[in-house]
Amino acid sequence: MPEIYALAQTPITSHAFSADRSQLAASLNSNDAQIFTRQGAEWISTVTLSEHDKLITSIDWAPNSNRIVTCSQDRNAYVWQEQPDPETGRLIWKPTLVLLRINRAATYVKWSPKEDKFAVASGARAIAICSFDPENNWWVSKLLKKPIRSTVLSVDWHPNNVLLAAGSADMKARVFSAYIKEVDDRRVSFIRYCWLLNSRKVNRPAPTVWGSKLPFNTICGEYASPAGGWVHAIGFSPSGDVLAFASHDSSINIVYPNGPVIYNIRMPTLPLVSLTWTSEDTIIAAGHDCRPLVFSGTANGWQEAGTLDDATAPKSPESRSGFGSSSSVGRLKAGAFATFRDADTRGQSSIAGSASPTADTKVLTIHQNTITNVRPYAYSGTNVTKVSTSGVDGMLVIWDVDAVTALTGRLGGAHLR
Amino acid sequence: MDQAFRKIDIDIYDEDVLQESELYEADPRDPVEVLEDAKQRQAAVRSFLAKNDIPGALTIILDNAPYGPNVDDAKIITLQTLLTILNTTKSTEITGVIKGLSLDTQDTLMKYLYKGMAMPGWGDISGSVRLGWHEKLTEVAGVGCIVRTMTDRRTV
Amino acid sequence: MSNVLRPYLAAVRSTLTAALTLENFASQVVERHNKPEVESASSKEVLLNPLTISRNENERVLIEPSGNSIRLSIRIKQADEIERILCNKFTRFMMQRADSFIVLRRKPVPGYDISFLITNTHTETMLKHKIVDFIIQFMEEVDKEISEMKLSLNARARIVAESYLTAFNA
Repeated sequence: MPEIYALAQTPITSHAFSADRSQLAASLNSNDAQIFTRQGAEWISTVTLSEHDKLITSIDWAPNSNRIVTCSQDRNAYVWQEQPDPETGRLIWKPTLVLLRINRAATYVKWSPKEDKFAVASGARAIAICSFDPENNWWVSKLLKKPIRSTVLSVDWHPNNVLLAAGSADMKARVFSAYIKEVDDRRVSFIRYCWLLNSRKVNRPAPTVWGSKLPFNTICGEYASPAGGWVHAIGFSPSGDVLAFASHDSSINIVYPNGPVIYNIRMPTLPLVSLTWTSEDTIIAAGHDCRPLVFSGTANGWQEAGTLDDATAPKSPESRSGFGSSSSVGRLKAGAFATFRDADTRGQSSIAGSASPTADTKVLTIHQNTITNVRPYAYSGTNVTKVSTSGVDGMLVIWDVDAVTALTGRLGGAHLR
Repeated sequence: MDQAFRKIDIDIYDEDVLQESELYEADPRDPVEVLEDAKQRQAAVRSFLAKNDIPGALTIILDNAPYGPNVDDAKIITLQTLLTILNTTKSTEITGVIKGLSLDTQDTLMKYLYKGMAMPGWGDISGSVRLGWHEKLTEVAGVGCIVRTMTDRRTV
Repeated sequence: MSNVLRPYLAAVRSTLTAALTLENFASQVVERHNKPEVESASSKEVLLNPLTISRNENERVLIEPSGNSIRLSIRIKQADEIERILCNKFTRFMMQRADSFIVLRRKPVPGYDISFLITNTHTETMLKHKIVDFIIQFMEEVDKEISEMKLSLNARARIVAESYLTAFNA
């Protein structure tokens, strides 16, 4: 049974867990990010990170260095670090400036696997690759620009810390090299570097299936979505040898660069907006259909395996705290009063035409609106055993990856009579 | 005083901006060739219809259907032929026929249904026939098929 | 719902459901702005193909989807001059009070009688399928409303004419 938490009544634009999963950073469709701490079965908001002055679009929490990066539609990003306050000595979250040099909204942010760089996608038709400049105590950026033609909607790092995949609204998924010399082989003098280069011991990116010589902004692959939808979500497999992207034409594509083979799965449902690999042969993706779907396959073929949300099973109403608390009305609950109150607060109507007046306001899925984020939550070895999702309905749900049920209904969140 | 300059859309002079033609890969075929092709298919469809082979006729007309600019004549012929097929199909057979089509063909059929609905009163087909096909196609191919009609710039 | 109207409304419902897949999308053209892309139409790639659903020449719905907003326009059936006047008065009354209707547009798209503009904020704060229900219900009711108004107008005209003519009878 999935764990369900109602964090807010507003949309959760992004969420990220700390390394030990005791804390959660989330943005509730506002200019502030909040850190929630787990207390028993609830999440309590403990810290507010306010520095942005427009909607925060994405948050990422680096597990090893314990740094949070936030980015926003105000064209800025900040790196937050826990530091002792000089006056009181208490640990507080301090922002560090990031020189993004973009002139449109930042849309998505992601730490690199080694946590020495992060990538910020933006509406300025560019991706900023940021690295730390200790001299000035700020983060500087280098821009990946060509050949991006529209807003970049999502990015993902290859496990080798150099390659970056990006999906954008110009209907293309691309793989770039985000190799920054100062970061990716710092710590060696030039002479030593030459010696190491000769003896092949230097920290140069090892050849991958995506290519071997990789200066900054090399395009290692470009894939168009088959029916021309914006590429909402993109992700490398755990090994980094396979790329998956989901686009607005209600399809998910899995790319094997060596073949080159591209598997395209067309879905009868609404488009997916977020995806995560759970193992080398499984992907979990979710979106406008309000439920996480599972895809599985190998280099020989891919198919839809089912869903984590068994929308046909009855759900206990208690599990959804925060919604529908109606006990305070007392005696007046009956009759006309209840009818009007339900119509006003919950949009429930008993007008002829809607078959069951009480049941039709709730969607059968656990999430009541679009899921905007899917993230790995718990691992066993390299495989993900649990994923967390958050969405426009303000709910955070933690799912068991193995609890897959076959798809029965054609639509989860959509009502079609 | 001349104030026309205030109305100039300066954003179209931005060299980074995406143009209509860059949104999809253009049809490599020549417009004349496409038109000839459409006419040949029209003839082929007639022979299929004579044999009462609806799925065969639909596949012929919808496979590799003309798209993009400059092929309006071919598109009209294709639409005309398609509407004939839709009209001759018995309403009880529609679901079965749709299920027999490939995913690509289903997507193209959806595009033509919307094109047909955008031109009401055109061709000898009643609105309810088109709506009936639309409903049955949505049942089989889902709303994902409608989403693809919206996103795909290779309009028919 | 009458059986004749059902396939038409079903088609509108499924198309609208497919179109209401919106997300928060900041403008690519103007910095720090967030506009309904279907209205500003400044970046072609975030606009999707507009779709029309029609029953006949006089009754159709146009749905123009984009990344963060959709515009839905309805052409209401108008059989004669009275219905045309009534429809005009009715939609005008609604559109002058567009603020209270939240999703209503103040002006219809050319060629249509009434337009709705639904943005990502609406799908975030309201139940998506309820917005769809609202539009469908509106379409069901508006025909009924106009034919009822026409009936009462005709009845009223008859009474007026009768009472006017009785003066000559006497």
